Formats: sequence, C-alpha cells, structure tokens
Amino acid sequence: MATLPFFVYTIAFLFVPAGAVMLGAFQDKHDHATFSNIKLLFHHPYIDAYWGSIRISLITATIGAIFGMFVAYAAIREGTPRWIRSALSTFSGVAANFGGIPLAFAFIATLGPLGVVTVWFRNAGYDLSTKWPHFQLFSERGIELAYLYFQLPLMILVIAPAIDGLKREWREAASNLGAKGWQFWRYVGIPVLMPSFLGAFILLFGNAFAAYATAYSINQGQNIVPILIGAYYTGNVLDNPHLAQALAFGMFLVLALMMLIYIPLQRRSARWAK
Amino acid sequence: MAPSAYVWLLLGAAYFVVPLYATLDFSLKKNVIGTPCCTLHNYGWVVHNGDFWHTIKISFLLALETIVISLVLFVPTIYWVHLKLPKLRPVIAFMALVPFVVPPIVMVVGLLRTFRGTPHWYYGTPWGFLATAYVILAFPYMFFSLDAGFRSIDVHTLTEASQSLGARWTTTLFRVILPNIRSAALAASFLTLAIVMGEFTIANLSAFHTFPIFIQYVNESQGFPAGALTLMSFGITWAAMLSLLLVGRKRGARGAVIAGAR
Amino acid sequence: MEDYEAQEVEFWAKLEEEGMSRSSMLRRSAAAAFGLTIMGSASTALGATRARLAGPPTVETKAGLALLVKNAKKEGHLNTIALPPDWANYGEMISTFSKKYGIPITNDNPDGSSAQENEAIRSLKGDSRAPDVVDVSLSFAIAGANEGLYAKYFNTNYKTIPRALKDTRGYWMGDYWGAVSIGYNKSLVSNPPKTWKDLTKPEYKGKVAMNGSPLSSGSAIAGVFAATLGAGGTLSDVGPGIDFFAALKKSGNFIPVQTTPQTVASGQTPISIDWDYNNLAYVKEFPAANWGVSIPSDGVYAAYYAQAINATAPHPWAARLWEEFCYSDQGQLIWLKGFSHPARFNDLAQRKVLPKNLLAALPSSALYAKVKFASLSQQTKAKAKIASDWPSKVG
Repeated sequence: MATLPFFVYTIAFLFVPAGAVMLGAFQDKHDHATFSNIKLLFHHPYIDAYWGSIRISLITATIGAIFGMFVAYAAIREGTPRWIRSALSTFSGVAANFGGIPLAFAFIATLGPLGVVTVWFRNAGYDLSTKWPHFQLFSERGIELAYLYFQLPLMILVIAPAIDGLKREWREAASNLGAKGWQFWRYVGIPVLMPSFLGAFILLFGNAFAAYATAYSINQGQNIVPILIGAYYTGNVLDNPHLAQALAFGMFLVLALMMLIYIPLQRRSARWAK
Repeated sequence: MAPSAYVWLLLGAAYFVVPLYATLDFSLKKNVIGTPCCTLHNYGWVVHNGDFWHTIKISFLLALETIVISLVLFVPTIYWVHLKLPKLRPVIAFMALVPFVVPPIVMVVGLLRTFRGTPHWYYGTPWGFLATAYVILAFPYMFFSLDAGFRSIDVHTLTEASQSLGARWTTTLFRVILPNIRSAALAASFLTLAIVMGEFTIANLSAFHTFPIFIQYVNESQGFPAGALTLMSFGITWAAMLSLLLVGRKRGARGAVIAGAR
Repeated sequence: MEDYEAQEVEFWAKLEEEGMSRSSMLRRSAAAAFGLTIMGSASTALGATRARLAGPPTVETKAGLALLVKNAKKEGHLNTIALPPDWANYGEMISTFSKKYGIPITNDNPDGSSAQENEAIRSLKGDSRAPDVVDVSLSFAIAGANEGLYAKYFNTNYKTIPRALKDTRGYWMGDYWGAVSIGYNKSLVSNPPKTWKDLTKPEYKGKVAMNGSPLSSGSAIAGVFAATLGAGGTLSDVGPGIDFFAALKKSGNFIPVQTTPQTVASGQTPISIDWDYNNLAYVKEFPAANWGVSIPSDGVYAAYYAQAINATAPHPWAARLWEEFCYSDQGQLIWLKGFSHPARFNDLAQRKVLPKNLLAALPSSALYAKVKFASLSQQTKAKAKIASDWPSKVG
C-alpha cells in the first residue's frame, strides 16, 4: 500500500506523543488515573477560556476565509497581471507564518498608544479609542486584527489552487448560455469552490485555535486556552502539566466537533465537484 | 483589470503594508534621547552578528529538508487516496487537524521523552529530530493545500491516460500528476518554508539553535535591532520563496498537461 | 554601613515571618556548622581520595578547589540554561567565567522559564546538551529537589549564605534577590510615580504595563504581591493586589501588554513594573527611553532565585566550578554590578568588601529595609488565587 509510509510516520511522530498527552490528561501528579483535571475544565476560568478561543477562532476564520477568497480571486482572475499573483503568493507564504512578538510589535507600532496610525488620526483630531470604532489594541479585537495578518495569507495560499480549477471555459460557457455574473457564481462558482472553502475554513479555525505567541504578546491576560496551557506547562509561576494536558485534550474535543460538522457539509458540497 | 480587483488588492496591500512600515519606522530610530531618525546602525548590528548568519543557514537547510521529506511522504499518499481510497480522505483530514490540537509545547515534551534513547545523529542534531517534528507541523498545511490541488485536476482521467500510454506508476506520478498540482505543491512548500523559518517552541525546548531562536532572543533583549531583524527575516524568507517559485516554474514549464488547466 | 544594618533588619524580619526565633536559629546553625566541620575535617583526606576516584565532591573545601578546576577544565564545557545576558549581569558572569578558566559556555534558551529548566533536565537526561546548572524560582527549586533532579553540593562559601536563602540538604541555594520596582520613561512621564497609589492617577492612562502575566511570569506575580502590600494587605492574601490591577485596567491606566525591550525603547510602555535589576539595567541599555527607576515606598516586595546543579549533569565538575565561581566574592560582586542583591550580601558588607560605587548605583537602602519576602506557603496560596481570579477580574 502506497499509504503505508505515511501512516507509519504519523503514528510514530504524531500519535505517540499526542497519545501521551491525552493519557496525561487523565492522570494526576502522582500518575494515578483521575477525571479531576477534566472535570475542572467545566469551571471558570477554564470554560471561559474555551469560549474565548472559539470566539476568536470563528471570527478570524470567517473574516479571513471570505476576504482571503476575494483577494485571491482578484489576483488570479483574468485581466490581472501575472506578477501580482506571484508577489501575493510568496508574500502570503511569509505572512502566513509571521507571528509572535514581531507581529505583535508591528501592530503595537501601528495601532498602539503611540502607534503610527493612532498618532496620525490623533493629529487629525480624531481619537480612535474614544470615538468610533472605540478601538483598543490590547483586547480581544486587537488580537483578532493581528490574527488576520496570518489568517488572510493562509486562506489566499490554500484557496488559490481551487480558484485555478475554476476553468475559464465554464465562465464563457455560462455567459454564452445567458447567465449574468452573479448567476455564474451562484450556480457554478460557489458550489465548485465550496468543498475547498470549507476545508480552508477548518484550517483557519485550527490555526487560530492553536495560536499562542501572538495573543500572549498583545494581551497576556487574554483568557484563551493556549495561554493557559503555556502558563500551566511552562511558566515561571504555575506548574501543573496534567492540567495543561487536560486543556489540550479539551482542544482536541473542540476540533473533533468541528470536524464532525465539516464532514457531512463537505460531502454534500462535493457532490457538485464530481 | 476589473475595478473590483483593484479595490480588493489595494485593501489587502494596505492592511499588510502598514504594520511593516511601522516596524521600519521603528528600526531606523537612533538609541538616544528623543529617538530621532534615521540610522542604519540597527541593520548593521544584525548583519555583523555571527549568530545571525549561523542560525539562518541552519534554518534554511532545515526547511529544505523538511519540504523534501514532506513532499515525498504526502504527495504519493494523497494521490493514492484521491485515486483509489476516497473514503480514507476524511480520516486523513481528521488526522491533519491533530497537530493543531497538540500545542507544540506539549508535543515537543512527548517527542523528547519518546525518542530519548535514540542515537545522537537523530536525537542530538537538528537534521534528525527537528526535521521529523517539522514534517508533522507542516502536515495540516501540506494536506489541505495538496488536497485542494488534487481536487482541481481530474486524477482518474490523467492516470488512465498515462497508463494507457504504457507509463509506470512512478512516471505517471512524476511526469503527469506532479506538474499538474504544481501550484498546490508550491503553495504547500511555501507554507512549510515559512513554518520552519518561524517555528520557535519545539526548537527552543529541544535545545537547538535555529533562526527563530535568534529572533526571539533579539526581541527579548534588544530594542531597535529587533525591528530591523523582523524586517530582514521577513525579506529573507520572501526572497527564499521567490527563488522557490522560479525553480518550480522552470522545471514545470515542460510538464505535460492533458485535461483541465490552462 | 547602614546598608548592612538594613540588610540585617530585613533578614531578621524575614525570619520572624518564617516563625523562627533567634535563639532557635542560632542553635540550628551552630549544629549545622558543627556537623559540617566534622564532615569537613575528618574526611578531608578521604575526600581527596574519593575525588580522585569517582565523581565530584558533595562538600567542597578550599583544598579541593585545585582539583575541581583541573577536572572542570578537562571536561572542557559548561551548559547553562535560561540566563539572559542582561538579567542581573549574567552576561558578564558567563564571559568572566569562560575567560578565567578557559571553559566555553553554551547558554541555551536565554528567556526560558523555570518550568522549562526543570523540564530540560528531565527531557535531555543523558544527552550532552542537558543543562549542567539551573537558576530557578523558589517553588520550582523545591519541586526539583523533591523530584531528585538536583545534586547535593555545599560550595566553599555555603556557610556565609543566610539560612533563609538556602536548602540545608544542599540541593539548591538562593543566588540573588531583587525588589519589585517601577520603571518610567522620563520623556513621556513628566511626573514620575513613586508609590503604588500614584499609579492610579489619571495622568498615567494607557501607560502602565508589567513584564508578563502573573499566570506565567515570576516578575508579574511579584508585582501582584507588591501591589497587595501597597493596598494595605498582607502576603497571605493577594486579593487586594488582584483588585488593584483590576481597577487599574478598568480606569485604562493598565495596558495588558508584556513589556519588552522594544516596547520600552519605543515608548509604547512608558511605565513598567518589573524587578529592580531589570529596570535599572534598562537605564544604560536604552538611552532612547530616558529611563528612571523608583522602588514604590508603600509596598516593597522581593523574591530570590535559586541555583542548583543537575544530578545527571553532562559536565559535573564544571557545574560545581561554576557554582563556586558564582558564590565567590568575585561572582557575587558581578551580580551586585547587575543591580541585584547577591545572597552573600551580608557577609560581603561585614567584611567591608562592597565597592562604594556599586552600592551607590542601587536605589536608597532605606526603601530596601522595608522589603518583605513571601514564604513558600504564601506563594502557593497566591498562585491558586491568581489562577482562579486573574483571568476573570483582570484578563
């Protein structure tokens, strides 16, 4: 079987360590089996951390997926010079992994209290934090704005091959049959793109869900799961690796749930592609 | 060019460029009271730092190694799944989400403990331990990219056509399929390159000295040079990708294309 | 001279907190000294033979130092971990040691946390990259000792380290301590804050930041302790400290971003709550920030970090030589130069070997005289409270 090397590799290097984590979630400090860590997850502040993570991930995945698709389509479609696409995909490749302190500082330097944009607006007489949009960088909104910096490029990169697959001939055929622009999209374009769109959305969700360094650098008190895991597993203060593993197990459950929603949706939409 | 395309591209460009400009503005400041502009001293600090060159070489080679291993591992697998085992696809898609679920912090401890007794050429060098870990990290991105790519071509027709002309599996894979999923494979490679050039946690906890480790160290201990380093690492990674793109384009130009594509 | 008295006062005050009487302390230390003397003299000859045969010694003597240096040089390398060069002047400590003994040092993960240090000992056991020595916060030192991660070692200056700052079994000893301070950018903050109460003034809106979150940063949790004292509370309940920061966040004064050299140098965090040795180091490092430092007079809190040797160190002799160096007068003064209070401060002051210029560089000793340390049980209680309350109240 051609897939054997793949399974051997993932079992050895992914499932064994991941399995150790999942097992650790059910152990206490003295390695006895226990549910206490898992039960703790349903209390404050842990349950709030999960909602916080889910909220941020859903928002950034949705905005990133939709806007990413528009930008990708704008770059790939007929009429756009080819260099724009090359520049955009390579830039996206870098930006998709731009995170942590450098990204956080770039946004602090832009929208922080002394940020370039903040000062520009203030000099023009408009205080961004007191008037609309009441923007405060060191908050959940700020984190979401920063997350989009790697969510958008990720979407662009992943959806581009699918947009490539939207054959030009289809668009011509559709217009020959009298379809207007939006009709093409509704009956041909969107259904064809939908499976890949959903896959990309899940990828973006997972990407945001697991992101840690950027959020920590902007608002290290933000109540999201990765920050808690970091605190319990590898901080200078708290020290409870099993609780951290339980938190990771909870993440696993959330993502499993997302997959359960994704699979039937994807199957329905894939009927079109075949 | 369509007007809506202009709008979207300009909006995207504005969002991406402004924070980079803010970093640039910071990196040109002098480390004196009042922070007047402008000096290239901070960039000089980075360029004259031996650690910068040492670690960037290591990370770059590591990235290439990871890309090669990932493509060799994932392309045939996903091809086979699309061709013969479509029911396996959701299983693999699910597996592809697992690296997200296990935070790198937790995963590296699991990996370190599991493979502790292994020989030094694997456990003690980045080319062994770190590369295998990075392949796993790249897995979700590789999978969803390649999957979208395979979905956009007609795998069955291409394979049947190629086999009816007498080609073996390897010929089919390399000379027919691969050129057709070139854009997806390139996208996946870009992502992997960026992941390796940006991955910090695993390298840090397993005590290797890679480029992101150097970046983090500078960010935590230096002021203005940190901004300079951010932009330089951004630029270097981008240049690396452009060169990957050119390499991919040159080889792909001769690829056979049958159904679909332009 | 008054510095030494201030230190004495603080030292006895800390003992009071720990619930020990002076007489019992004297009795215990006499017993310990007696025991150590016995071990030291009777087995000197035996110790020398043992050292020549097997591993490095547990109790070091002045006579054995030559052998220690020789074997350490033979090992030829030292692995340290989590020692930022600008943290308590570790950069100079590392370079001076390397130059003096010709032993190169690999400093891994300079910004690592105490948890990562202990984990590195576990994960890298048997590998040549494992850390030889660690510098961890108190609770991790105790946990590590209990877990058997560390080796027992009594360096030649062990006796002059205050009882309250070391593990009597020899697994770890406090290396330096610092107090929580308020650093500020004089160009952006025209009226420098001098107390915790000052920080609530509306003129500091959007300006106050901490070095991390108390959930994971030792400096930040110390900030909460200190704020508790400033709010009139006791170290046994950090609720007032958490409420202080909650109110500060609500009024908009507190920005929950982590201060980094970039944010300090750029002025994005004009006020930073951090260890005194960090803030004082910024003064010279970032002239652009025009940095000043004050120790808040209404709440002075300090904590120390502890030095320990890996039980399975790849370079055991070099590890012990490093510890000898750190606790020698030369090493202690390097830490003092980094604006921290080294563990043997009292002893050095008594023998009058403290350079005046180094003492002058530290803020007023009268403020340090008020310093309070938290006991292990107080720290444990505080962590639990912060873990449950901080995300929802300040978050």
